[in-house]
Amino acid sequence: MYLAWREIKRNRMKFSLIAVIFILIAWLVFILSGLGNGLQTLAAASFKNMKADYVVLEQGSNASVSKSLLSADGIDIVSKMPNVRGASPVGTTMGTVLKGDASDPAAGKVDVAMIGIEAGSFLEPAVIEGSGLSSDRADGAIVNKSMKDEGFKLGDTLRLDGSNETLTIVGFVENETYNHVASVFLPIDKWRTITFAAPGSDKGIRNPVNALILQGSKIDPDAVNAALQGTDTVTLAAAIMGMPGYKEESGSITMMLAFLLVISAFMLGVFFYVFTLQKSNQFGVLKAIGARNGFLGKAVVSQVMVLSIFSILVGVALTYAVASFLSKAMPFILDTKLVIIYSIILLVIALLSSLASVRSITRIDPLKALGRVE
Amino acid sequence: MAQGLDMHGVSHYYNEGSSRTTALDRVSISVEPGEFIAVIGPSGSGKSTFLSVAGALLQASEGEVKLNGTSISSVSAKELSRIRLHDIGFIMQSSNLVPYLNVEEQLHIIKKMAGKVTKQDKAYAAQLLDELGLGEKHKAYPDELSGGEKQRVAIARALMNDPQVILADEPTASLDTKRAHEVVSLIAKEVRSRRKAAVMVTHDERMLTYCDRVYRMADGQLTLDQMQPAQELVSR
Repeated sequence: MYLAWREIKRNRMKFSLIAVIFILIAWLVFILSGLGNGLQTLAAASFKNMKADYVVLEQGSNASVSKSLLSADGIDIVSKMPNVRGASPVGTTMGTVLKGDASDPAAGKVDVAMIGIEAGSFLEPAVIEGSGLSSDRADGAIVNKSMKDEGFKLGDTLRLDGSNETLTIVGFVENETYNHVASVFLPIDKWRTITFAAPGSDKGIRNPVNALILQGSKIDPDAVNAALQGTDTVTLAAAIMGMPGYKEESGSITMMLAFLLVISAFMLGVFFYVFTLQKSNQFGVLKAIGARNGFLGKAVVSQVMVLSIFSILVGVALTYAVASFLSKAMPFILDTKLVIIYSIILLVIALLSSLASVRSITRIDPLKALGRVE
Repeated sequence: MAQGLDMHGVSHYYNEGSSRTTALDRVSISVEPGEFIAVIGPSGSGKSTFLSVAGALLQASEGEVKLNGTSISSVSAKELSRIRLHDIGFIMQSSNLVPYLNVEEQLHIIKKMAGKVTKQDKAYAAQLLDELGLGEKHKAYPDELSGGEKQRVAIARALMNDPQVILADEPTASLDTKRAHEVVSLIAKEVRSRRKAAVMVTHDERMLTYCDRVYRMADGQLTLDQMQPAQELVSR
């Protein structure tokens, strides 16, 4: 630390340049992680928010809720099984809501995800405005607050495109999106009426739903599959991964992040290495007057540490600054946990990349200090 | 003898392909505390190898090197660096100061490498610098110092760990005559007053008058060149 800090103080320009590059890398990492997180939330927030553990789907649906169709009658059986604390049916349908009123056909449309749930079940999110779903209000719906930006308010009627059905906004919820659009929670019976309006679309299943959501951490999926014929039980995380496009979307972001981290490891490693090479004569002198490899190694590593922590902190600050400027429409969500994880990853990468420099120190011959090896 | 530097029958070989170069050929020398000796000789004669072996930078191929009566001929690399830190003071060609440390810190770093810098160490460093005429320059950085001042800092650095042996490698290489005399006379003064065994390798014949004995190095062999009258030295 003694050497490390004094060198930084005396060579501010050189170290600022490295810090700038490191800050830019950290900034990019955090922005990308925020974007990735935002996209994932947009795609699956309503399912991620569920306080649930397992999802019962139709066999052959490849862990995808939208491909699955089964009867809600299984709830009675599965809720009596061991370790099952709660079970509730869910149905999802993509739909379009008409803006404005019937007299104004040019007002436009909004895509929504209609999620049918049982009123008062553990799947119903808490409202931030208005009231929750209720069994006496068959057409009541609670919608994501982003619908306010589209001009909807409490008590408004939601006219569905291509359907005679209408819903009434009774409450607003937050952070509820599904398939990249706002979620609209409605009673499951109403959802059935809307979704299976066409004859035969329910394939003759009684009380059809897309999935049964289970609570309980130690549920045996095989036992559930055995008890309910033609079902496939997966974890909630697997069901989210099974959503169309979800894996691919988060995969591309993860890929970008991985490449960025690998490239930054190389870049920082080369910088630190060149720094050390530049100083090899100086290190030789210090070795000649008795410095151990450990002493010099520590100096290099602690310097990288100081530089990294400083750059990462500035990167985090810049990211939060950018986040506050981004428009609401941008799917950008900073998760403190992710920011901390990526900070640690960056720090570890920087330290690892300095190891090459430490190794080169051990190879410096103190004889060099004499300047003329005969 | 128990103190100072004692080399006995020391040889060193370099392997260059299939041939073997003898850099040091059965060198024997003994330097006692308070003695300042010079080694001169043409380049390629083995002066640097001699200094490297004496300074625990290089292990001799044959023979015995004793520092303060302890043989360093067969110790580990780690132990060698410990010996360099505690028992040897190096004054190098062109001083080789650490560019981002100020004058005081150049001295503190020696103690730092051994563990901690205490208050006494700092006081000792300040005293050394004052003694060497650097009283005004405690906080100066190497790029603010003249060649002579840098070399004086290097002398102070070599004395900082209170070593028994001082080795100087061409300490006047980059200095004009006046500065060169200043620097070497300072080394001679410190060596005598602090009772160090000192060896200076030099090209500079002008500086030999400061030394007790002068050895000449030729083709790896070290021979005594001339004896300096002791009284003359004391008066200096």
